[in-house]
Amino acid sequence: MSDPGILAVTKAGTDPVRAQLDGPSGTRPRRLISRRNIFLYGTLILVSLYYLLPLYVMIVTSLKGMPEIRMGNIFAPPVEITFEPWVKAWSEACTGLNCDGLSRGFWNSVRITVPSVILSIAIASVNGYALANWRFKGADIFFTILIFGAFIPYQVMLYPIVILLREMGLYGTLWGLVLVHSVFGMPILTLLFRNYFTSLPEELFKAARVDGAGFWGIYFQIMLPMSLPIFVVAMILQVTGIWNDFLFGVVYTKPEYYPMTVQLNNIVNSVQGVKEYNVNMAATILTGLVPLVIYFVSGRLFVRGIAAGAVKG
Amino acid sequence: MDAALLGLVTVVVGVGGCLAYFYFSNLFLDKVLFPASGPNAGRNINRANQIRPWLFLFPAIFALGLYLGYPVVETLRLSLTDRDAGGAFIGLANYQQMFGEPKFWEAMRNNMLWLIVVPAASTAFGLLSAQLTDRIGWGSIAKSLIFMPMAISFVGAAVIFKLIYDTRAEGQEQIGILNAVWLQFEGGVGSFLALKLLPALALLAFAALAGWLAWLMLRPLRRPTVPMWILRGIGAAFAAWLVILSLGAIVNIIGADLPYGQPQTWLTIPFYNNFFLMVVLVWIQTGFAMVILSAALRGIPEETVEAAIVDGASPLQVFFKIKVPQIMPTIVVVWTTITLVVLKVFDIVYAMTNGQWETQVLANYMFDKLFRANDWGVGSASAIIIMLLVSPILVWNVWNARKEMR
Repeated sequence: MSDPGILAVTKAGTDPVRAQLDGPSGTRPRRLISRRNIFLYGTLILVSLYYLLPLYVMIVTSLKGMPEIRMGNIFAPPVEITFEPWVKAWSEACTGLNCDGLSRGFWNSVRITVPSVILSIAIASVNGYALANWRFKGADIFFTILIFGAFIPYQVMLYPIVILLREMGLYGTLWGLVLVHSVFGMPILTLLFRNYFTSLPEELFKAARVDGAGFWGIYFQIMLPMSLPIFVVAMILQVTGIWNDFLFGVVYTKPEYYPMTVQLNNIVNSVQGVKEYNVNMAATILTGLVPLVIYFVSGRLFVRGIAAGAVKG
Repeated sequence: MDAALLGLVTVVVGVGGCLAYFYFSNLFLDKVLFPASGPNAGRNINRANQIRPWLFLFPAIFALGLYLGYPVVETLRLSLTDRDAGGAFIGLANYQQMFGEPKFWEAMRNNMLWLIVVPAASTAFGLLSAQLTDRIGWGSIAKSLIFMPMAISFVGAAVIFKLIYDTRAEGQEQIGILNAVWLQFEGGVGSFLALKLLPALALLAFAALAGWLAWLMLRPLRRPTVPMWILRGIGAAFAAWLVILSLGAIVNIIGADLPYGQPQTWLTIPFYNNFFLMVVLVWIQTGFAMVILSAALRGIPEETVEAAIVDGASPLQVFFKIKVPQIMPTIVVVWTTITLVVLKVFDIVYAMTNGQWETQVLANYMFDKLFRANDWGVGSASAIIIMLLVSPILVWNVWNARKEMR
């Protein structure tokens, strides 16, 4: 049957008699309602109910006024869309005594996140480069220490660092928190950069060195342009990690420097007044906005960043 | 905009300081210590190159030593001292005191519960959604939505689920989703199906899985020389215990008299409220498990699946006998990673119940001791317990990572 000529002659469509004898040809059409599809879509609907319903309710509730919420109908979309809860969460919601909303927490978080991200990435990338560039005695031990540093649970270091920061006069300040975040991000970032740099072809460095580039020349003119993705991954890892951090924020800072997550918790758990569900939900969305925006912009790289950071202490 | 200014100053000072350090230390090494000129230039260059890596790593080593190495040792030391006695060495008295507290054992029990349920549920749901989303057209959208909770902080997730578990007095309209759904059940056939039969079936499936695991552990033991037979025995006994536990739970569920028609304060029901908290972490971690497992599923060679289909395997057989064994290493990685997260779970419990109503976990217990009771002795002791619980996985991870680095 290897000759296409024969096939063409005996093909179903060309011979009316054969066409009737053979019946329908080609793959069997898929029925929409089959056991496979019922199972598939049934499970998917259940799964998506669990994963999406909370997100949906969060958004819908944040857009309703309190009277409408009190009527029940939690799943119904808002009759009247109002952004008042958002405004209130941003600038009026109370945490304890002061009522200036999440805005202060937002700026605190920015002041914490930006410096610590830049610092830790700058140092870690140079370290990773140094580790990838030279094979030297003791590198193996340094590695093991780095890996331990990346995986060890924060709880073990929590209290002595309080003492340390107090001795340095940094306890309760933004600087202290920036320092802690920078140092704690370093092991995992160094490993990340080192792994990426060693995967680049070695000939590039050799060529650059022959052309007379020094340590920094190679770093800035060859490494940096070639490893943009890993820098983005590292940035995502650090920004989401630090922005979403709660433990360090609550332990190492004073109320006036609380990051956004801590303030969110305080707003929601503050006892005075009626529970304002819409404000709480709006505050939650506002707090999650930065990582969510990064997520939707960066997509696949975000997943890589989170996956790389998932193991850290 | 003092915020921006402060941040900028920090960045400039920090990065500039580091760069200056790197630059000048290298300059010092090359020009002063071992100049590449004079009678023994060659030897000097070699020496300088031996020292150079350490120049670059010194800031990292210093910072890591100060902020990672020293605190670990210090925590260990503090756990052996007493605050009231001005920091005097008191041996293991803190541990003794801690082991005498019911709250500590409650935290241990809850941590074990979390340890069993959350990694298992997250991995199972992750595997399920990875497998299902790979087969449909809008799978990538579903995937990105399921992954979204990973971007939200634990506290944010806790706040959302607080709304879901919210309760208002009987007679008022319920705002919490769970109560609104709960009030739909009135004790008829539908309630029996959804609240008794379905959970019973789920538990039965779990029991079957645990039984299968126990069998897997025991099977090679028929041959006398099997490495690690003690570990296998313990694992099998543990799995068998889980089977008995879940079978008992099935009996309980079928026989339970449920308070239909009354709104429940879900987070204050002892023992079961733990599971309501776990739901939050499963909600977050499934996305992580799904992404990793889906990548692994796609890496399975197509031929193996085709061969199985040609041999007449059903879809379920293909999944459990061809695909799952091939991605077992990835499943183990996902499982252990989530286990690490679970052992340190703090934010969710802190934000939702703060350990009241028998939901205490170790990390929150430690926080209580350190910053509320101001007792650093017992607090550090519980930190060491967390460390001990984590360390088997930690060592395994380090070992694996080192193997990968080669």
